[in-house]
Amino acid sequence: MALTISCPVCGKRNGYEFRYGGEDKGPRPDEKGLTPRTWCDYAHMNACVAGVQKEWWCHKNGCGVWFTIHRNTLTNLEVDGPEVTS
Amino acid sequence: MRLERLPTLRVNPSEQCTVNYHGKSYQGVAGDTVATALYANGVRVFGRSLKYHRPRGLYSLDGECSNTCMAVDGIPNVRAENTLAKNGMRVAAQNVIGSADFDWMGFMDKADWLMPAGFYYRTLHKPARLWPLALRQVRKAAGLGKISPDFKMKGRFSEIYPTADVCVIGGGPAGMSAALAAAESNLRVILLEARPWLGGCFDYRVSAFDAEKKLFERGRELAARVEAAANIRVFKHAPNVGIYNNNLVTAFQIGPPDGAYDERYIEIRATSVVVATGCIERPLLFENNERPGVMQVGCAHRLARTYGVMPGRRAVFSIGHDMGLEAAIDLCDLGMEIACVADIRDDGQAPDLLMALAERRIPFLKGWVAARTHGAKQVKKVTLRSIEGSVKRQFECDLLVASAGFTPLTGALTMAQARLRYDAHTGYFMPTQLPAKMHVAGTMTGRNHPLSIEASGRLAGLRAAADCGADNADAVTVADTHLGRLPGPERGTKLVTAPVKGRKSFICFDEDTTVKNIKQAIDMGFDVPELIKRFTSAGTGPGQGGIPGHNLPLFTARYQALSGATPLPTVARAPLVPTLVATYAGAHHDMCKRTPLDELQKRDGGVFRRIGVWQRARYFSEDLSCREEVLNVRNNVGMLDGSTLGKFRLHGPDALKALQRVYVGNMAKMSPGKIKYSAMCNEDGCVIDDGVVVKLSENEYYFTTSTARAGETAEWFRYHTRYDGWDYHIVNLTDGLGVVNISGPNARKVLQKVVDADISNEAFPFGGYREFTVQGAIPVRAMRLGFVGELSYELHAPAACMVSLWEILTEAGKEFGIRNFGVEAQNVLRMEKCHIILGVESEQRTNLLDLGLGFLWDRHKTDTKTVGTVALRQAEGDPNHFRLVGIEMENPERAPRDGSIIVDRRIRGYVCTARRSFSLNRAVGMALVEAESAGVGTRLEIFEDECDGRRLAARVVPMPFYDPPGNRMRM
Ligand SMILES: [Zn+2]
Repeated sequence: MALTISCPVCGKRNGYEFRYGGEDKGPRPDEKGLTPRTWCDYAHMNACVAGVQKEWWCHKNGCGVWFTIHRNTLTNLEVDGPEVTS
Repeated sequence: MRLERLPTLRVNPSEQCTVNYHGKSYQGVAGDTVATALYANGVRVFGRSLKYHRPRGLYSLDGECSNTCMAVDGIPNVRAENTLAKNGMRVAAQNVIGSADFDWMGFMDKADWLMPAGFYYRTLHKPARLWPLALRQVRKAAGLGKISPDFKMKGRFSEIYPTADVCVIGGGPAGMSAALAAAESNLRVILLEARPWLGGCFDYRVSAFDAEKKLFERGRELAARVEAAANIRVFKHAPNVGIYNNNLVTAFQIGPPDGAYDERYIEIRATSVVVATGCIERPLLFENNERPGVMQVGCAHRLARTYGVMPGRRAVFSIGHDMGLEAAIDLCDLGMEIACVADIRDDGQAPDLLMALAERRIPFLKGWVAARTHGAKQVKKVTLRSIEGSVKRQFECDLLVASAGFTPLTGALTMAQARLRYDAHTGYFMPTQLPAKMHVAGTMTGRNHPLSIEASGRLAGLRAAADCGADNADAVTVADTHLGRLPGPERGTKLVTAPVKGRKSFICFDEDTTVKNIKQAIDMGFDVPELIKRFTSAGTGPGQGGIPGHNLPLFTARYQALSGATPLPTVARAPLVPTLVATYAGAHHDMCKRTPLDELQKRDGGVFRRIGVWQRARYFSEDLSCREEVLNVRNNVGMLDGSTLGKFRLHGPDALKALQRVYVGNMAKMSPGKIKYSAMCNEDGCVIDDGVVVKLSENEYYFTTSTARAGETAEWFRYHTRYDGWDYHIVNLTDGLGVVNISGPNARKVLQKVVDADISNEAFPFGGYREFTVQGAIPVRAMRLGFVGELSYELHAPAACMVSLWEILTEAGKEFGIRNFGVEAQNVLRMEKCHIILGVESEQRTNLLDLGLGFLWDRHKTDTKTVGTVALRQAEGDPNHFRLVGIEMENPERAPRDGSIIVDRRIRGYVCTARRSFSLNRAVGMALVEAESAGVGTRLEIFEDECDGRRLAARVVPMPFYDPPGNRMRM
């Protein structure tokens, strides 16, 4: 309950206002060639990282946008995302 | 006999207050707690202990143990030391058969040898068949308070969620100094104090602060400055109950008499936190160390100074620190006879205190300690021994003031996951690593000199301000240097136990855990305090480890006598202080939505029920079977308020793509002026919503959802298109538009009277969508649907026009005898047609195919990545699913209750909806059953709650029951 989340539209807000949308697993796979196994992996299996993970949140009691943050699952604190190096 | 003229008093002796204790009235004064009011009237035994039913009395005055937990006005386990006495309060002792003084269960104290540590775990499970018997007895004996199952909590509860730059926990001298220092930088400061006043350890003491002021005067001076500061928000009588990461601090506050609330929950978001919770006393361990008449130094001292109640006539002191000497001297000056003061320490006492003791001729023993108290219900005599145990002396007394030393209140720190380590110099658990933007100050850092206490508070306050961006580096340096010049942390006392066996030396009062129990646990191999805590349950009672929190780890380390066995602290958890569940629940806001037609429906006699977030008219008569309402729709015309339906506008160049993603049908195949019924599934192919979609123009759609899904629909669309970056917008119009459903064979006649458009069956057929105005003024979106199975129009209009629209239709329908129907009548009507309601005819595992709605799914739509279709393909042909079937009861008069289960030798399914059908004169319904029971003609047995073993019989029949060809809705 102590979590705060930074909405890209509204800024840092109380975690109560958001809905968790799961780990960031990338876009939906094409249906062609999908096996039950690969589909289940996409739909239901999670990495459950003990550490920093990228995940989806919805500002449901605010602007309604879906966005990703990085959160440390050990401390339950939002953290800055890893630096993108080119 | 109050000490009425003391300047330190926090009670008003001139104002009386009466509490009722076991049928007798006791006079207290305004400001008394329940405990002090009773104590002032000579009550010494407040209750009986958990296991051994030992008499227990006033010990700490801060509610650190369950000794003085009492039932107050029917609420069990109320901490009498922290609860202000109110006129007319009814107070009762707990865990007694008889009274606190004469408890019939008192013999249990002799039975302690029967209950070694871990007694329940180790003894009662063999043989297994005896366990249920033992369980009943244990249950009867367990727990302190009792609550009646019919008890209704009274009181007003509230909650607030303030934010602050700096939150200071603890309103003693350090906390107040910290708050004042932080406030200098114009930051918003919150100060939390558990007691009803600020002042902490200064508040009741008359020792000199400096040449002019006494400690209590200094305390009040600081308090006045804090209260006067505009940017410090003070919460008094507000114990801190939790602290979480991100510096979220929770507390609850007890309301002022006649205030707007009795208790309220407080949740504070602070940038930085100062923890200045101070110290409590470490109990001295000796035989019968919790006999009524034994109390801590602060308890005895504050009873006299704060409440004006003399704690006893003749006292013995067994203490280990200068505060004990100070209290003995002050209580002697207030008129108490001090038989002897035993000090654990051989040296190190402040010279002026030693001189004061000598001046008053108070017998003083260095290196001595209390070893045992005598007296069955109250202390009558004390045995003192020299520390090594060789010499002993006895003193008659009615009060033993006992305290080994101090221990910091670290609950807030351990909850915040600070690392604590045992500090050998002070004997305290001190933080070695604090979470970000958290600081500690005051006596919990081991400092006892008044100037050091304040200086540490000031430094912490300035640092907390710097965390918020205050530009005060110079001030921090000055404060740091200043603190460094003042006396530092003092040496603590080492003594753990008096030289006794410990069979009746209680380390935890709440759970009746003795020193002997701890030894047993360690001998059995439990070597870590956290494990010993669980095995012996020491520190798991309402006091949250206040009494054993320090002694348990110290004793464990000492008893193991291992080299390098440093004491390890146990962890405190929320709530740090017992809190009413009602306080956490807060004010009960019944937040519901009402439709634009709410008033009219009430006027028409609607019986309202809460349905989801809505208040809806469920019935329009006392007849809950809704016979008249149903038949009127079937034979004439009725009108329903359907405004709760989810209503959405979807527009933009990629709107169609979004529809294709979430709906299982092919939404590209829509023709203007026609509605399309479709469904949404989740990733598992289970149906989450159904509704109709209308294409208004290119890239512009209007659709409805079920009432329950309206809130989540926009989120659902956006979630499933979150990677696509599509250009579309979804607007929730649920509250902006209302809906009237006008149904029945006469519906067209009514509607035609008020619209100019041609609404004949040819011009506006079943499944059609039209836009027109009612009486040339009210814009209406009209759909011809058949949910109830009759000729039916669903009229969507702006919420502001709904009342007019309803009145116009009512007026137009008068000649046909139009009347309301409610949600229940609609439920019966649609059930006769086997039209489903999601969540009633489906549950979480019910997929599209199970419901017989497979025809909605376009299997050729593979490139749209439609949600749920992969799972549907896999589910096809899977026999392990419940199927939705129609059922008809063998007894046409008797429908089973919704939710009844279908059984043979095991459960085969359950009834979703079943009713007596007036249209058909049969009892019919829908059920979800295993595939093998789903064939038409299968006989089902239904088990209903309280059916006395008599099962109801039904048979699977084809669906729908009413008008199978669907002619009536197409008329
Ligand atoms: Zn937002």
